[in-house]
Amino acid sequence: MSEENQVEEQPKPLVLEKLEANHADALLAQDESRGTIVVVIHKEQAYAVLEYLKTDPELAYTFLVDVTAVDNSQMESELMQFDYARFMVVYQLYSYQGQCRLRVKVPVHENDLSVASVTELWQGANWLERETYDMFGINFEGHPDLRRILMPDDFEGYPLRKDYPLRGRGERESFNFDKQNV
Amino acid sequence: MGLDFVGQGAGQTDGNIITTTIDKVVNWGRKNSLWPMPFGTACCAIEMMATLASKFDLSRFGSEAIRFSPRQSDLLIVSGRISIKMMPVLKRIYDQMPDPKWVISMGACASCGGVFDTYTLIQGVDQFIPVDVYIPGCPPRPEDLIDAVLQVQQKITSGASPKGVEAVYE
Repeated sequence: MSEENQVEEQPKPLVLEKLEANHADALLAQDESRGTIVVVIHKEQAYAVLEYLKTDPELAYTFLVDVTAVDNSQMESELMQFDYARFMVVYQLYSYQGQCRLRVKVPVHENDLSVASVTELWQGANWLERETYDMFGINFEGHPDLRRILMPDDFEGYPLRKDYPLRGRGERESFNFDKQNV
Repeated sequence: MGLDFVGQGAGQTDGNIITTTIDKVVNWGRKNSLWPMPFGTACCAIEMMATLASKFDLSRFGSEAIRFSPRQSDLLIVSGRISIKMMPVLKRIYDQMPDPKWVISMGACASCGGVFDTYTLIQGVDQFIPVDVYIPGCPPRPEDLIDAVLQVQQKITSGASPKGVEAVYE
């Protein structure tokens, strides 16, 4: 008997089973990346799915680790996968109950940069979404206080977008001290 | 020291007569009681703390009275990277310090931006505030900071105006 026959088929993770059963229409893709389950969710149902992941007693992804985004504008292979959506908003979740992580990705098109805010579900999403707004220009609808958090209030542009020049557009030399609220 | 002892030597003259000028006496006092305002924003500040702590002991040179209020200090130590959001704060703190005041730009980031050649980082605080002494290093050793303080002391002894005063009055 060879070793290959002894390896059992891994059971499908519970979270994928439950998502397929309850939110099959929202599930665009599923993947695994270095031991973490990755699911890609349709933007319109993103809030409903995240709420489900948090409140379902068996899953209980109660901890929102991070909210960030990825600009895929220079990654042709990534762009093609999801109908040329330029941005991918990424939610990192953790379940204390199941002691497992989950990455939820939401494709966002450049001509419609709004995503439903999850501050109602996780208070901690407040500053994370502000940072994503600051760096990428993603609008989180329903956010109580969506303004810049890292860059100055009068800053123009979104510096983590791939088309933003690394050395800036001259803002670090041409400095207006009067405009700043010191 | 800048003070000339008249007679056969200090301690041997009955009256201990010293002749000097007001400027020299004032500068002598300033030099030996620099009160630094620390503006620590990054890892250079860790080295600055080490400089002030017991092992390197900046108080040996009369600079141990760290003031966290710019209005009570005459030496600004910019130690760390300054972002475009922080620069107005630094400028205001510099403006709040009473004259005469000196500025040490500690480390690569404060002096020229260091490795952070990005949209958000000031490429050298001397673009916006006058700097008297630069310290190279990433981060510099505490000895480097002590050396910079001694250089400031030398400038004071020589009677030269701080960079900031030149900028204002010339």
